[in-house]
This record gives sequence, structure tokens and C-alpha cells, in this order.
Amino acid sequence: MTALKILIFTVGVVAFYAYVGQMVPQKETHPPENTEIRADMTTDEMVEVGKEIAGGKGTCLTCHTIGSQEAGRFPDLAGIGDKASTRKAGMSALDYLAESIYDPNAHVTEGFLPGMPPIHKPPIGLSDGEILTVVAYLQSLGSTPTVTMETRLLGAGQEADAASDVAPVATTSPGEADAAKALLTSYMCITCHKLDGPEKLVGPSLHDAGARLNRAALYESILDPDATVATGFPPGVMTVTLKGMGFYDKVSVDELKLMVSFLASLKGE
Amino acid sequence: MRGASTCNRGTTVVCLLLCVVCVLTTGLQVDAAGPQTEIVTEEVAAAAGVTPATAGDVEYRAFPVVGSRVAIWVVAQLHLMFAAFVLAVPMFALIIEFIGYRTGDKRYDALAHEFTKLLSVSFSFTATLGALLTFMLVILYPRLTQYMMAIFSWTFFPYALLFFAEAGFLYTYYYGWGKFSPRVHLALGLGLNIVGTALMFIANAWLAFMNSPNGISESGALVNVWEAIDNFIWMPINVHRVIANVAFGGSIGAAYAAYKFLGAQSDEERAHYDWMGYVGNVVAISALLPLPFAGYWLGKEVYAYSQSLGITLMGGTFSWLFIIQAVLIGNLFLAANYYLWVGMERIEGAERFRKFIKYLLASVTICFLVWATPHSLVASIAEARKMGGAHHPAMGVLGVMSAKNTAVNILILTTFLSFLLYRRGNKEATVSWAKTGNTIQFATFVTVVAFVVFLGVYGYFVEAKVRIGLSVPQVLSVLLAMAVVTAIDIPMFKNARIRGSIDWGKMPARSQYALFFIAITFAWTMGLMGYVRAGLRQHWHVYGVMRDTSVDAFTPTLGFAAGVVSVTVLIFFTFIAIVFWLSGLTSKKDWQAERLDVPT
Repeated sequence: MTALKILIFTVGVVAFYAYVGQMVPQKETHPPENTEIRADMTTDEMVEVGKEIAGGKGTCLTCHTIGSQEAGRFPDLAGIGDKASTRKAGMSALDYLAESIYDPNAHVTEGFLPGMPPIHKPPIGLSDGEILTVVAYLQSLGSTPTVTMETRLLGAGQEADAASDVAPVATTSPGEADAAKALLTSYMCITCHKLDGPEKLVGPSLHDAGARLNRAALYESILDPDATVATGFPPGVMTVTLKGMGFYDKVSVDELKLMVSFLASLKGE
Repeated sequence: MRGASTCNRGTTVVCLLLCVVCVLTTGLQVDAAGPQTEIVTEEVAAAAGVTPATAGDVEYRAFPVVGSRVAIWVVAQLHLMFAAFVLAVPMFALIIEFIGYRTGDKRYDALAHEFTKLLSVSFSFTATLGALLTFMLVILYPRLTQYMMAIFSWTFFPYALLFFAEAGFLYTYYYGWGKFSPRVHLALGLGLNIVGTALMFIANAWLAFMNSPNGISESGALVNVWEAIDNFIWMPINVHRVIANVAFGGSIGAAYAAYKFLGAQSDEERAHYDWMGYVGNVVAISALLPLPFAGYWLGKEVYAYSQSLGITLMGGTFSWLFIIQAVLIGNLFLAANYYLWVGMERIEGAERFRKFIKYLLASVTICFLVWATPHSLVASIAEARKMGGAHHPAMGVLGVMSAKNTAVNILILTTFLSFLLYRRGNKEATVSWAKTGNTIQFATFVTVVAFVVFLGVYGYFVEAKVRIGLSVPQVLSVLLAMAVVTAIDIPMFKNARIRGSIDWGKMPARSQYALFFIAITFAWTMGLMGYVRAGLRQHWHVYGVMRDTSVDAFTPTLGFAAGVVSVTVLIFFTFIAIVFWLSGLTSKKDWQAERLDVPT
């Protein structure tokens, strides 16, 4: 009997909390959807799209308010199109808005703490085109938008590569790097490609291969060298050389992976 | 009984092996395949005859009926609850045993031993659920698992070794009770605690990394494994979990005592389990008091890592979750105070403090209401309509953090005061400076409450930058008040005159249900806060590094989450009931065949 009472009591208390959970507003939050950015959008269209992005994918309105009387954690954006020209001495309104997005902590508004993330990088990861529309929208708050899809913003062109739908990969360890170098030497790759400097030999330097090519392109450039040939280099040479030395018969999957991992880690630094 | 113990040990060994094999094989799988998930196009792979390991191609697998997310969610939460219990019990068992050793009071030693009886079976449950969780992660989320393996591969070896060490310490501590000298046994308990805590710290690094990844390049490649471990929220999570585990473990221990109390056949038994329940509850509430402060630190580090993550937590998608949390914590404080007030009825001499209970109840209620007042920084139109604006229609502007911080600090002080009165129930200070001591204690309470309220009101008139910082002096002043009052109280009542006895066992049944209520509420709170910690990442497996591209890449409604948490809590208590039952078998008499009078 006691056990039954305890059971009923336990179920009752849990049911009460489940009920409390149903009493608060219910909202499902889905990942932000990509908004179509067309190259031929008018400025007015950019403002509309920018407004949508600011409230959605850009998550701007998670922290910023527009026209709120309360002192929030981040500056209120009402009239920012106008105020932007006065925020930083010697900087135009457009450049200030661009800097606030690409390098948000370069200048922090009086009375607030730094903390805004650069929104062209993950997790937000807006593209340059999307940022242009957001700037158009911000300009529209208190001013007349001037940007077009051709406008080049201060700080643009540094979009993060990591859309991160693909799992990131760990860099090669020193031991693996040595093993990969030994493989590149034994397969005579370094006869035609330089690994430790930008100088061209028979083929292009690989010292920055990881910065220029993603892993798929690196695999392709080894397995099918003529699919894409670097500008200024003759096609067919690498294919003939590798086939001639029996590379494709000798190389194992693990060796291939090791070499590609190593090449992907070469950023030209 | 012997059979049960052997079976129990056997199960544990199997689970241990399963865990280690599982961890090692998954680690080996990653190493053998090398860095995973290269972007190998089908054509390129075909041209080279490259067939990446099938595990590398599969991003997700579906779990039948409930889906992968819910399946992992439930198993992970159950594993965490049992792990919390298994880590917590040795902490306070060791302290209770130490008290018994120092005072020579055998009751403490027996009590500590009784608490550890719950450990043995619980450890098996923890290990089994841990192995199940690992298998499910590898099967259902291979891409995420492989990435995490690539980052943390070197942490798995010490983890496996520590796991063996924990099993060794735990079983030696339990089965060696009374078999070693007290010092050796205490040392075993200390070893168990150190190893268990180290295990938890390692596992915490994995999950904390998923929220605030560190030690990696922009593309997510590992740069420094120590930095990956020592990420932004790792240490706050460690501290928060140690304290929360003790609170949770104490409450489950108290629930066990309540279960035994209600089924007790003699006054002696009732007295013993009443005392055990009281100790378990004191452990739980003592840990609960500093828990909000650890929570502040954790929240602060979330903000320090990413303001947008912090605002999603407190002012965005999850802001309503904290209203549910306020209801839970408010109930915890209410039940804890209630238990103390009811407990005062069995203390001769405590009747002189009854007149204060109504004021304490008023304070708890008001603080509870303020804390649970909703205010959403980014209320949707639908939310705002329901509330009649951004603020609550009745409680108005009391829903903002300035008021909530003030309320929770006063709530903590009120509970501390309840405990102080309980402790003094049958005592009367005899030291010459008793009046001065009481005056200083009273002045400390009044000053700190006034200071906390002042800062709370002041917070409404200053900009956010200043307001955020006000919670620190509020917290520090409350901690200081508790330290000062305790420092005075202990010597003041050292040789106090005893006005009457404590009639252990003379507790109404409702007080024991308060203990159940506290344990259930703790478990539910753990489930909810576990959800927000993981759900905070929203559509990211590893925040900002690896996106969730599965069908579950959305944040469900709080109602759905509450449903999953409720089911998990019910499963947990079903398992706990089995643990209680199995633990109770040790005190039953051995079975004997009925003697039959056989004619010669």
C-alpha cells in the first residue's frame, strides 16, 4: 500500500511539472533558412530582404532592439542609419556599419560592453551579399539607403569557408606530416612541386595547397590531374609522369589520405 | 544475499568490459580510418578505387518510433542521473564516516555504510547506461562521434583507466567496510572521490566543448587538445556539477530513508530512518544553497564565450524555460523549508520559534512569485499578447533580472534562517556573549537584505553594463552573511544547554512525502537544465563548427521537452525503486527451506 502511494505521488508530481511545461508559450525554433540574394536586386528589395535576415538568420534582433525605451544589453538600432555617421570620427556611415558587422569590436558604443560576434563567420555566417542587404536595412532606419548589390563594403571578401555542414578534420600530427613528406618524396612529387616556398618548378608550388584547394580538389588533382590544370602549366605532364612510374598501382588508400591531409594543412604560412 | 552480490559484481564486470571495449574500439575505428569525412566526390573515389569506410559516409541513422534525438536524450539523461548519484554518495558518505571517526559515534559510521549500500547496484546501472549511450552515439550519430573522437581521442585512455580505478575503489570501499583500519578505509573513500571526480571532469570536457569549442582552427581542425578540454564553460560546468550532484545524491538518499521510514515496523527503525532522511536532506539543501552562485558563473562564461549564445539562453528561445526552472527551484526551497518546519515539531523547545514560521513562509512565497514572474526580452507578439505586454500584468516590472536576483538571494537567506532556527530548536546558548552574538547575527541579516534589495532597485536605474555587474556583490554579500552567522553560531552553541530531546521518528508521513517531492523535483530540474545546456546549441552539434543536418535540427517546444523530461524522470525512479529494493535485500534473512516433520 505504501509503495502504491509513493508511486501515485511520484506520477502526480511529475505530471504537475509536465503540465507546467505545457503552460508556457510553445514555439519550435527551426534553423534559419537561406534567403535568395539576386545580383539584380534594387535597393528597396535589398532593404526588405535585409529586414528579414536581421530578424532571422542574422539573429541581429536577438540582442538589438529597434525603438525600445529599455536599456538593453546592446545598442538600440532605431535611427542607426543616421547615427552611424557620428559614431566614429572620420568614418562614413557606410564604413561604420560595415565595420560594425565585419569587425564589431573595433569600436564599441559608449555605455556598452564588447561582445558582438563577427556575423560573417559561424555560427551566424552571413555571406557578403546577405550582409549588403542587412546594411541596406540598417541604413533605412533613419536615413535613405545608398548601397546596391555592386557596393563593396569595408571588410568584405573574408567569408568563412566553414559552412560547417561537413565535419571538420583534425590537422595532421607532426608524425603524420613526416610520413606524408616521405611519401611525397618517394613518389617523386617534390621533383616537380615545391612544398616549402612559393617558387614554381615544373608544376605549381604546393606550399599553400590547403589554402587554394579543398580536400575534394586535392584528391581530384592527384587522381585526375588533367581535370583542372593550374593556369600557366601544361596539361598532361603529371598524368603521364604518374602513370609512367606506376603511381596508381602502388599508392594505397591510406597513403592517399595521408598525403591529402598533409597538403590540406599547407596554408602558405 | 550472497547470490545477489555475486550477480551484482558479475554484472558490473561485464559492464566495465563493455564500456572499455566500446571506448577503445570506437577510438581505434577513428584512428584506423584516419581523419574522417573527407570531401571525396563519388567520381574521384571511384577513379581511385577509394571506398571510404562506410561509417564515414553515414551521417545519421534513425532510431525507430521516437527518433534518434529523443532516444539519445533519454539514455544520456538517465546515465547522467545515475552517474550524479554514484559520484555524490561517496562524497557525503566519506564526510559522515569521517565525522563518526572523529567523534567516535558509531551511528555515523553505520549511516555512511547504509548510504553506500545504494552505490553498488547504482554503479552497475550507470555503467550499463554509459555503454548503451556510447553504442547509440556511434550508431546513430557516426559523423559527430568521429569528429569528437578525432578531437578527444587521447582523453579516452585515461578515462578507461580511471573507470577501472573507480570500480576498484568503489567495491573495496563498500565490501571493505569494517575490514580495514578506519584511516585506510577513509583513504579508500578519498581515492574513490578523487577518481570519480576526475572521470566526470574528462566527460565534462567533451560536452562543454560542444557548447563552447576551443583549441581548434576556424575550420574545426584540432590545434591544441588541452585548450579543447579547457574550454570556456568546462570549469564552471565541473563546479556546478559537483555541487549539483551532491544536492541530487543527498535528496535521493533522503528519499531512500523516507521509503524505509514509511515501511518501518518499529519505533527504533523509524527513528533511524527519520535521522537518515534528515541528514540526506541537510546534505541536499546545503548543496542547493550555493548552487545558484555556480549557475551565475556558468551563465557568465556562456556570455563570455558568445553573447548571442548567452542571450539565446536567457533572453531568447529558452527564456521561458527559466520560468519553469523558477517554479522547480521555488518548490525545492518551499519543500525544504516545510520539512524543517515540520521537523521542529519533534524537537522539544522548538515551539518558541513557531511564531516565526509564518514570516518565513511569507518571505519564501514572495520571493518565489518574483522569481517566477515572466519577462521575455524578445517576447514574440503572441507571447506579449498573452502577458498583456512585455511585462506580467500583475507583477509588472518585477520580472527582470534585477528583481529575480534579489528574490533568489533573499530566498537563500530565508532557507538558511530556517535551518538556523531548526538547529537551535532544543538548545540555549550559555556563553556570556550570547546576546551580543545574536545581535551581530541579526544585524548581519538585516544589513545584507537591505544591501541586496538596494542593489536590486538600483539595477533599474543604470545601464546594462553596470546592472550585469550588480549580481556579483549581491551574491558575495549573501555568502558573507552565511559565513559570518555560521562562524558566530558554532562557538555560541558549542556547550549549549539542552532544553529537551529530539524525538526521532515522531514525524508525520507528510514530511516523508516532502522528501520524495524534493528528490523528484531535483531529478526533474536536472533533466530540464540538461536539456537547456544541450539545446542551447540549437541547430549545431558543435556550436559554430559542426551543423546538425539531421531531421531533428530544430529546437522543440518546451512542452515537448517537458514531456521527454517527465518520461525520463519516471524511468529513472522506476530504476531507483529497483535499486532501493535490491539494497533492502541485504538486510533480509537468508531463505531457508521449510522444515517438514517427516515420519521416521
